[in-house]
Amino acid sequence: MFKVEDLRYKYPKNPSDVINGISFEIAKGEIFGFLGPSGAGKSTTQKIMIKILEDFRGTISYNGKDIREYGDDFYEDIGVSFEMPIHFSKMTAMENIEFFLKLYKRNADVEKLMRRVGLWEHKDMMVGEFSKGMKIRLNIVRALLNEPHMLFLDEPTNGLDPTNAQILKDMIREFREAGGTVFITSHIMADIDQLCDRVAFIVEGEIKEVDSPRNLKIKYGKRTMTLEYKENGETVREEFPMDGIGQNETFLNLLQTKEIETLHSGETTLEDIFIRVTGVQLRDEQ
Amino acid sequence: MNSKRLWILIVGELSRLNKYGVFSISILVAFIWGVVLFLISDSVLGTFLPFVLFIDATMMSVMYIGAEMHFEKTESTISTMLVTPVSNAEMVLSKVLGNTIHNLISSLLIVAAFYIAGQLDFINELGFSLILVILGIVLSTATFTILGLVLSYYHKDFTDLLVSMFVIIFVLMIPAVLLMFGVIKGDFWETFMLVNPMQAVLEVIQGGFYNAAGELDLDYRYFLSLGYILVGGIVLYFFWAIPKFQDYAVRQSGV
Repeated sequence: MFKVEDLRYKYPKNPSDVINGISFEIAKGEIFGFLGPSGAGKSTTQKIMIKILEDFRGTISYNGKDIREYGDDFYEDIGVSFEMPIHFSKMTAMENIEFFLKLYKRNADVEKLMRRVGLWEHKDMMVGEFSKGMKIRLNIVRALLNEPHMLFLDEPTNGLDPTNAQILKDMIREFREAGGTVFITSHIMADIDQLCDRVAFIVEGEIKEVDSPRNLKIKYGKRTMTLEYKENGETVREEFPMDGIGQNETFLNLLQTKEIETLHSGETTLEDIFIRVTGVQLRDEQ
Repeated sequence: MNSKRLWILIVGELSRLNKYGVFSISILVAFIWGVVLFLISDSVLGTFLPFVLFIDATMMSVMYIGAEMHFEKTESTISTMLVTPVSNAEMVLSKVLGNTIHNLISSLLIVAAFYIAGQLDFINELGFSLILVILGIVLSTATFTILGLVLSYYHKDFTDLLVSMFVIIFVLMIPAVLLMFGVIKGDFWETFMLVNPMQAVLEVIQGGFYNAAGELDLDYRYFLSLGYILVGGIVLYFFWAIPKFQDYAVRQSGV
């Protein structure tokens, strides 16, 4: 659906490129995560893909056609949810939505969307009186107004309570199940892990990894099994190689004879992979 | 240019000018000007009413569009407009037309008040050609709105814009006002001063009012000024306001 090839970009006032020849593809119906530390080039890449930034080098094609050849009708097909609130604060939620709705040829069922994110009861409230979470939810409604085929989400769950974050994640999955494609950036690795079919890590304008969360966990994890069991009132911890574990007599003997407390594979987390690939602690990012 | 979408944008602009209180402020300003005009003597009324319309079309146009752009900056709404099918030209034109319609309404309120007061013999009746007055207000407001838009591209906040605006407007306005009230006199100055856009606006607005003989006094200066404002506005729109809008909008989206 989206194909990025050898993308390079330099801001006019910068001495060098901030995007250094990145390439990746996003398949139709895929949820693609784009991760990296601040200043790595995530937002720049997204802004190029949504045609806000021009004068890039390389090629980006959407549905087989160079995005440079698309006119403003490109935006009939995509939805963008920004991280920051982007509404007219002295207008009600509904006045905001109705204004944007009229700008598109295709219109979604607004009541259904607003009800889904729990804003229908607040539709006549001034957006300036909304909490941050409500504004973020309204951003999502705004992004889905034109029934897009491709959705760009920048930190979609940032600022949402767990219940609303879950609703939003469900909506993203439903969007994918209905045939939609999603490009998502987030610092919340648990969300990325739950949602994304594949993720790319970008560092200093270069892509270091592109793969599914599962494959990355296998690649960066240790192929071991760690066993914790009780012996003489104390917890004993032993690690075994994953290869040939079914024939490892010591391991099997411990399973049969000891009181097992925990049993873990050496699979790592996406957060650990982020730190290893980018060299940046996530808490420094947030 | 999609005319249906342009209309939606203009209605949106007018609605926001109303919601954000800009419309109320302009009505209040019009009311204050009205009161001032009622209090001044009939002998200077004929000069002062065009002067009020001139201030409305120039300084106030820049201020109103500056305020609107400031609200958009603080609310980041320009980011979301960039990802709609609306073109930059439609966005810029809707702002120019929205502000022009808004300013025309407030100016016409003043003109209407004086027309009615004149008809009821409260004040000396002022003769004017409504078509020429509207033409003058529309052209001047549109051109100064474009100027205000361009100024707002280069200022980080509204206060910054106001400072620049006052410097530019006063530097240009003082000679025009001196000429208007007869401090500077003579054919040379009257012609030379037409290079000043503020002077051109004054000529165009004054051109809509009858002179002492009860006739319209449309000489070469009027037509030169009309052409100057029209061409100046078009040049500013196509060579500055539109091409620089994308850079401005991208900066507002956090780049």
